[in-house]
Amino acid sequence: MKYIIIIGCGKSGKELAQELSKSENVVAVDKSLRNLDTLGEDFNGKKVWADALDINTLEEAGIKEANAIFLLTGNDNLNLVVGKVAKRKYGVKKVVLQVNDAIKKKIFKEEGVVIINRTQLIVETLKKSIA
Amino acid sequence: MYIVIAGAGRLGLILAKKLREDDHQVCLIDKNESLCNKLAGELKSIMIICGDATYPDILKEAKIEKANVCVSAASHDEDNIIICYLAKELFGVQRTVARVNDPKHTPLYKYMEVDNPVDSTSIIARIVEEEASFTDVMSLLSIKKGRLSIVRVDIPENSPVANKPLKDIVLPHNSVLVSILRGPDIIIPYGSTVILPGDEVIAATLIDAEKDLLKSLIGKI
Repeated sequence: MKYIIIIGCGKSGKELAQELSKSENVVAVDKSLRNLDTLGEDFNGKKVWADALDINTLEEAGIKEANAIFLLTGNDNLNLVVGKVAKRKYGVKKVVLQVNDAIKKKIFKEEGVVIINRTQLIVETLKKSIA
Repeated sequence: MYIVIAGAGRLGLILAKKLREDDHQVCLIDKNESLCNKLAGELKSIMIICGDATYPDILKEAKIEKANVCVSAASHDEDNIIICYLAKELFGVQRTVARVNDPKHTPLYKYMEVDNPVDSTSIIARIVEEEASFTDVMSLLSIKKGRLSIVRVDIPENSPVANKPLKDIVLPHNSVLVSILRGPDIIIPYGSTVILPGDEVIAATLIDAEKDLLKSLIGKI
């Protein structure tokens, strides 16, 4: 079983957390209690209600043991900062973060960090659908 | 020097004006368009750029590659960290300084190699604590983010050091008496100088030794 941290439980974070918690050890982190509540009964993991920019939160979520971390808050800069720290300071093997801006995606490219751009993904899918 | 300041809030603005008075070249960046327009009208000698400083093209517009220092005074810590990171990594700025909004975020500033994260909340808390707890003591100056402080202590009647020559007084490590104010006189103390009740003593002390110093001068805290 892998140990996975998901930061940001908006729409995609929530679904990912629910899916992954069926087979893996999942910790969901969000600063909004309401977002954590939407995980509902389907979620079989730990919830941490706190600020992800605080390293105590990250350590409480178990970042030292984590195999992977997903950063899916709507805040690009937060995702980037916590993602970099997860990689550099804690050596988390797989770091996946969401960035809405293509320029930042390019600048912050780093080995072992996967940066996802939602708009790009949608455009790709749309293009494929008429191919 | 050329200094780029990101964030024209209260802190950014005061700093920009102050640095300009000291004849530095200053560029101020802020997201808020109406604020920028207003500032551009008021501050003729400061370059104002309107935009999000977490984007490299805005920093480029500010000619940040020529800056000696980048100061990030935005109200979100993640933005400050990104701005300093870009300034350093992408544009080779030698020195980055940032305002820490939430003290809990300080470690992240350090991990992301911001040269000087200034945690104003903790600094102010320390000053307020000092002002609140000791009435006969006043902090005159604090250096190195409050680690070294110069204090003024009023020597009370029942002080353990009153009427004793300095050489018989044991002060804690990392603290030293700088001078004695007695009425209109300023006395630079030697071993034979005697401290009298009513004197005002100026002392320099590391913050860790401050309480012990006060204890030895006043007798209580």
